Amino acid sequence: MFHYTIRRLIFTIPTLLFISFVIFFILDTAPNDPTGNLPLTIPPEVRVKIRASLGLDQPMFIRYLLWCQQFFINEPLNMIEQWFDITIGDGTRLRVTSWSTRSPVVDLVVERLPQTLWVVGMSYVVGILIAIPIGVISAYKQYSWFDQLGTFFSMLGFSVPTFFTGLLMIVIFSVHLRWFPSIYDTTHKVTDWSSFVFQVKQMIMPVMVLAFFNAAQLSRFMRASMLDNLQQDYVRTARAKGLKERVVVLTHVLRNSLIPVVTVIALGVPQVFGGAIITEQIFKVNGLGQLLIIGIQGADIPLVQTLTFIFAVLIVLFNLIADIIYGLLDPRIRYD
Amino acid sequence: MLDTAAPLVKVKNLKMHFPIYRGILSRRAGEVKAVDGISFEIMQGETLGLVGESGCGKTTVGRALLRLYDITEGTIEVNGHDISTIEGEELRALRPEMQMIFQDPQASLNPRMTVGSIISEPLDEHTKLSKVEKRAKVGELMDAVGLARHFADRYPHEFSGGQRQRIGIARALALNPKFIVCDEPIAALDVSIQAQVVNLLEDLQEQFGLTYLFISHDLSMIRHLATRVAVMYLGKIVEIAPRDALYEAPLHPYTEALLSAVPHPDPSQESTRERIILKGDVPSPSNPPQGCNFCTRCPKVIDICRSVEPELQNYGDGHFAACHLLE
Amino acid sequence: MKIPNLILAAAGASLLATTAFGAAHEARGRDGNVNIIYWQAASIMNPYLSGGTKDVDASSMVIEPLAHYDENGNMVTTLVDEIPTVANGGVSADLTSITWKLSEGLLWSDGTPVTANDVVFTANYCMDPSGGCQQLAKFSDVTNVEALDDRTVKITFGSAKPFPYGPFVGSTTPVLQAAQFAGCSGAAAPTCTAANFKPIGTGPFVVSEFRANDTITLTANPNYRDATKPAFATLTFKGGGDAASAARAVLETGEFDYAWNLQIAPEILAQMEAKGMGTVLSGFGPLVERLMINLTDPSASLGDTRSTVANPHPFMTDIAVRQALSMAIDRPLLVEVGYGKAGKVTCNVLPSPAIYDSPNNAGCEIQDIAGANAMLDAAGWAMGSDGVRAKDGVRLSILYQTSTNAVRQDFQALIKQWWGEIGIETELKNIDAAVFFGGDQSSPDTFQKIFADLEMYANNFDGTDPEAYMGSWKCSEIPSPENAWLGSNMPRHCNADYDALVAEMAGTADISKRAELAIAMNDILMQNYIIIPLVHRGNVSASANTLAGVKLNAWDSELWNIADWSRK
Repeated sequence: MFHYTIRRLIFTIPTLLFISFVIFFILDTAPNDPTGNLPLTIPPEVRVKIRASLGLDQPMFIRYLLWCQQFFINEPLNMIEQWFDITIGDGTRLRVTSWSTRSPVVDLVVERLPQTLWVVGMSYVVGILIAIPIGVISAYKQYSWFDQLGTFFSMLGFSVPTFFTGLLMIVIFSVHLRWFPSIYDTTHKVTDWSSFVFQVKQMIMPVMVLAFFNAAQLSRFMRASMLDNLQQDYVRTARAKGLKERVVVLTHVLRNSLIPVVTVIALGVPQVFGGAIITEQIFKVNGLGQLLIIGIQGADIPLVQTLTFIFAVLIVLFNLIADIIYGLLDPRIRYD
Repeated sequence: MLDTAAPLVKVKNLKMHFPIYRGILSRRAGEVKAVDGISFEIMQGETLGLVGESGCGKTTVGRALLRLYDITEGTIEVNGHDISTIEGEELRALRPEMQMIFQDPQASLNPRMTVGSIISEPLDEHTKLSKVEKRAKVGELMDAVGLARHFADRYPHEFSGGQRQRIGIARALALNPKFIVCDEPIAALDVSIQAQVVNLLEDLQEQFGLTYLFISHDLSMIRHLATRVAVMYLGKIVEIAPRDALYEAPLHPYTEALLSAVPHPDPSQESTRERIILKGDVPSPSNPPQGCNFCTRCPKVIDICRSVEPELQNYGDGHFAACHLLE
Repeated sequence: MKIPNLILAAAGASLLATTAFGAAHEARGRDGNVNIIYWQAASIMNPYLSGGTKDVDASSMVIEPLAHYDENGNMVTTLVDEIPTVANGGVSADLTSITWKLSEGLLWSDGTPVTANDVVFTANYCMDPSGGCQQLAKFSDVTNVEALDDRTVKITFGSAKPFPYGPFVGSTTPVLQAAQFAGCSGAAAPTCTAANFKPIGTGPFVVSEFRANDTITLTANPNYRDATKPAFATLTFKGGGDAASAARAVLETGEFDYAWNLQIAPEILAQMEAKGMGTVLSGFGPLVERLMINLTDPSASLGDTRSTVANPHPFMTDIAVRQALSMAIDRPLLVEVGYGKAGKVTCNVLPSPAIYDSPNNAGCEIQDIAGANAMLDAAGWAMGSDGVRAKDGVRLSILYQTSTNAVRQDFQALIKQWWGEIGIETELKNIDAAVFFGGDQSSPDTFQKIFADLEMYANNFDGTDPEAYMGSWKCSEIPSPENAWLGSNMPRHCNADYDALVAEMAGTADISKRAELAIAMNDILMQNYIIIPLVHRGNVSASANTLAGVKLNAWDSELWNIADWSRK
């Protein structure tokens, strides 16, 4: 397993380099202009100078290499310096800098991570917690009214977009009932009970909207996997052994059914980091998803490039993690 | 062989019907009559062989007998307990007395449990043995089925088919059952392994005084193993008789046809063996023919067969058959 | 819903402030917290590095210019006591220099004094050729900026500047602190993240936390020049979302006190306002939604000379066609459909400030399909069997482009229908705003290239002086491959009389004479139907009913008088 992991990690390096180039190439070819959103009162000759100051007058290949140097060498060095509080070389090196904020992209990402992890991550956890029991009960009582209801809700979760459910929740709970704020306060700090209550209140709507969406998909996976396993002979064996029904379902069937579901969950984790663009936008959570969409709108290529690449890294990494988890959970799978 | 006086298992008019649902509203559209009114007894210490084509309902009989299904009708009595309708805890408490060895040794073992825990799990559930005692018991069982004790920490997929079936047997034996349903336990194994497993089952029967219901489509194996044989066709028993009587003088045309397909060990008889080829397919158990179930394929069919269902009747020496020709 | 603990904290703070100062009404920070939402989040607090309205407005609370425009477009002093003019000697008689004198005792928020050197530094900071300063146009023709003494700064221009109020008037060109931005000039400008996010200023607020593209938290500047202001101790400037949700946060849920730029369907805004929690404000600057006629031939077959003066347009050169296009439009309906309170019918491309609004073009608000048809008939454009007019084999078939935007697409659909009624066939095209307004040389879809027969967008100018704006339509401003398509004369309008008026205005200082010239230029464009104005657009914002002192300003940052805001 260890050798397998190392081998896979080594293989990811050329893959990721290739991905980074493809992203850069696509972003560069896309028609976009970082000065496009500026007021028309800024005359064209000034725009030319602005573009030049952003390095856009250089050929694409040079800009790509520059980005590679900034991202793969300068940023890690900078991170090491900050972690260990040391200075390497003269300590001044060009970092990947956003065009719109003129600040290092990595700092922006670090600033955005908490709310994204809290809201999107929490919604993922809540989604899992909802989905697994629903999936288990739906499969165990296949075609019962509970199962039909579960199918109905997951269909709803699949087909109703989050911008609709989000807006609906705002209209009901913020405008009419005044229970929850419609705008997320990213600067809010939890220090005592009442601030914790506020945090819960402002998280509840985005978390539930996303959790509903996640649960819809996961509960289907869970149900299918449970149904698969419920019909296996070993379940009959377990019953013949005279085990309690609870033990049969929870120990034998559930644990085997979770193997593929856990893999699906692991593969979905990069989406958590990627943020939920639409939901973040609706509730003004301003996490990584919102950062990405602002970057795209403003043609902030270093920001978009870096974020997209980080997502790519996470996707590749979690694919590997999913494979490893599969190997750990299922004794039949052995790598090497 | 032990004294075969007392019946350990009594089955009366057992019916197992599976509903079929159709349409958007899942209306009940009919039922598959997998087992449709069978009765038999199994004596203490004997092996009853249950033969028939695939799909005839013999596996269903085995599972229904152990109440892995909720039966539709009839009574099942095992070791004096009527288990036909009991549920939950009551049924669970009786599980140790009756066990099953499954056809597919791969699928019937939980892939995520080690051999040791598979064998000891029933002990956790039904006994109050200490850890050490359980370990010892698992060791004994593994010895009994011919598995090295150090295999206890391995997973099922690491074993060959024969070894897996030994694990399945060890597991079935863990609670000292009296009655074991062997559901085609050798069908999935290589021929060379089959004999080993069959011999093991015979040895264990002797050692522990077990009673078997041995389900198989392999007539030669049944002949080797069984004391009595029941022949099933489309959810019903058509003939049941002591082994030798059945093999020497089958009464039912279906049994004749089945036996005619078995090669005879004696070359002189083998050369004169006349194979009876049955025509047509087995009718659907959801829509069995009127009269005798076998009337659509029977080479000796007469008019009455198509209207009146024949009863199982004793034709002497415990030889029962259900056929109008015999009446 | 308000943030409860913040209210408590604010109440506590105001209580403290009350006891400390004795007079509750006069104390700085007495009204606690105010919440402002801009659905486009601020990226940076330095307008020299980002000219976006959101960034300029956000920074205007912290850093200030020497003078501002008020809500009526009049210049008001900020860091000076008097606006320099020729009359008071502040502007030299030859109009080539302007001398500003800072007020006495001005302090930066860190407590150090504001000096003329800061102003000089800021000018040089923006004029550094490698800095990519986005406000460079404000400093055009500036040859020298020098400090005469600690409080006096003299700006010299290379030529006569009848309107010398470009640099340091209005929120786009505030004064930076030299000490903080030293070392941030030129190529180093983007590396000064800390300074760009938390500039030290003279404004009523100081940044305490800056989350780029998200939320800015500000506190009252302890060294603000008016000891009783600002009324709010803290300010939250939230960004993100969309216009509708920003409007909802002020008008329906009351979570926020002020929301900026609410370009949403007028009837939805009216419904929200009816809830009675806040008020929709509108202010009119010089922004006009207009059609720009292409007087040159955009045919793709022309290759490199496409949409250049080398090829006159086959039919747009006929004034009858242009006039008919204008007559067929129902402008009041456009206002109603697209802008509601935020729009007015205009027949001028220069409708404000009021002194520049020409009285000579009234009447365009009445749609006249019959008149347009008659005019085209008279000009020889005969109706064809397919319902499209033609003359000498030239069909009146138009490609009409604009940026992608719901209101603009509604306008396109309406106008296409009206033009259909006068026998003009219209093909519609919309282009993503970032591409349309972006300067990508390789894209054929920029508004400068105008590879279409006409295009629609809105434009305005900064401040109150239209000289540069009206100069957009002189011959030398025509975009072409030779000048890399830079230039703002989209119609490719070239008229010697017009150029003469532009030149005359450049040498005229007298304000009423300048107004006459601007009106004359406007009339040339209007009466020749080079530009067809549609809607005079305003800014729409919403303010909570509990907020006092808000004056929507279309000539400067909307937050120009944030120091005067208070709680009712």
